Amino acid sequence: MKGWMRRALVYVALIAAEVFALFPFWWMITTSLKHQVEIFSGLELFPQAPTLANFAALFNTYNFGPFLTNSVVVVTFSVALSLLLGTPAAYALTHLPTESWLQKQALIVVLLVRMLPTILLVIPFYIVLADTGLLNTRVGLIVLYTGLNTGFVIWLMQSFLAEIPREIEEAALVDGDSRLTALRRIVLPLAAPGLAATAIFSVINIYNDFLIALTMTSTPDAQTVTVGVSTLIGKIQIQWGPMAAAGVVGALPIIIFALLVQRHFVRGLTLGAVK
Amino acid sequence: MVAAGATRPLPWSRRISRAAGSYGLLLPAALVLALVSVYPLVYGIIASLRHYLYGGDHGFAGAANYLYVIQDQTFITALSTTARYVLLCVIIETALGLALALLVNRQLAGASLWRIGIILPMTVAPVVVGVMWRLIYASDIGVADPLLNALGVHGVHVLGSETTAFLGVVLLDVWEWTPLMFLILLAGLQGIPQEPLEAAVMDGASGLRVFFDHVLPMLRPVLFVAIVLRSIDAIGTFDQIYVLTRGGPGVSTQLFSIYAYNSAFLFSQFGRAMAMVVILLAGVLVLAAIAIRLVRSGPGTR
Repeated sequence: MKGWMRRALVYVALIAAEVFALFPFWWMITTSLKHQVEIFSGLELFPQAPTLANFAALFNTYNFGPFLTNSVVVVTFSVALSLLLGTPAAYALTHLPTESWLQKQALIVVLLVRMLPTILLVIPFYIVLADTGLLNTRVGLIVLYTGLNTGFVIWLMQSFLAEIPREIEEAALVDGDSRLTALRRIVLPLAAPGLAATAIFSVINIYNDFLIALTMTSTPDAQTVTVGVSTLIGKIQIQWGPMAAAGVVGALPIIIFALLVQRHFVRGLTLGAVK
Repeated sequence: MVAAGATRPLPWSRRISRAAGSYGLLLPAALVLALVSVYPLVYGIIASLRHYLYGGDHGFAGAANYLYVIQDQTFITALSTTARYVLLCVIIETALGLALALLVNRQLAGASLWRIGIILPMTVAPVVVGVMWRLIYASDIGVADPLLNALGVHGVHVLGSETTAFLGVVLLDVWEWTPLMFLILLAGLQGIPQEPLEAAVMDGASGLRVFFDHVLPMLRPVLFVAIVLRSIDAIGTFDQIYVLTRGGPGVSTQLFSIYAYNSAFLFSQFGRAMAMVVILLAGVLVLAAIAIRLVRSGPGTR
């Protein structure tokens, strides 16, 4: 095959892949911008009379605001707390001056927890939260997400921290700094990009969670965006326009965050196994 | 510590306090991890040995829940549906992901833009993915049915019959997670040294030969990591199915997670649901053990 033909084929295949990957996004956005009548009147790829009516309905009629508030509160606290817990632990694991046996075992336990399908955890979680009166509260969600995400933070952060040359902080330790001071003064500034990436991945993971929020909450007092989206679908007669609008609201912040960390995506997905 | 020790041995008191400090850094995380993982897990296993009815705990059940579950035809069906689903999805996603990675792993105009476009599907919440595909599969406003019509397949509602609904959710999974395989495999490809490949090409080896003799063997560790990670995630698939079909029509898309969820939260059969979960857990642990052996070689080598 000639060189240019080969090249053309590569691009044709790539364009086909992109169309397949992006069309569902396009269809959801288009639908969210169409009037009810237009949604039913045919397969227009562009809204003939673009409207924000569906978004207005989403927040006014379907009262989507509280879901967003809950998500923001829950995500903010869970991410902050799990970073606070996980980063020092990751640091200790990468730089522990003791036998590596503990490091390996600890990391394996953390990895194991991370790999358990969520359905394995929600039933015990539910019973525990019911016993402690934390069902249908944001606090309950924050506790669960913090705990689950701490494992993720430990793994990802230790992969970033391991790249920092030890000599730099050994110097600080020789100068008489304690471990904690060395971490704060020397290591964290160097690890800032990794920390930011870990934070953003954590935001994505927690904001996108559905099963935990679905089972642990029952009213808009604590329900998050993903649960809010699913309640719109649960209605007997589906309101396609507002549902599409809810999908757009659910997707938009995450797409922005994802673009910010796309350089680190592989590491985030494989917990540092592949970079 | 070796470097510091070599220059100036620390007094014992300092060494001990420093080691204590390290454990001090670990302790809070360890406690929280135990609280949200080990504790519920133990609690759950205990729950699988107890009778639950109408939300109340009605005492020790012995192996009754397990005996019930392994004779429950719906559970067996859900397991086999899950197995078919995972196998089909992982095979297709690996093949497509590898093909895409090979396509992108070259000098391309706007390489990072192609990449971003391809990975977008896996970034959004699975629930949102469910919404997108509801809008595509919908029998009144969707594009799937008219598209099939145009291709000569008439009168089909994708989510209306058992076979097409199953294939429909597989297609959704392929759409959502091929990007994961693509990204990991692309990273793997980029880590392969180019010299042996160029040498092989110089020797007149064809593209396919080079791929099977040189690229694939070097890609194998990464390929395994990707496949195991994806399989474990696929076994737990819940959100998209819940939004799209709730397991129907019939039980054609009722994956394990959906059935366990229904048992626990619709029918309040916590004991039975936990018994199912424990049985699945045993299976997942085997997979996870494989994954850990593979992943461990990652951080360890640095």
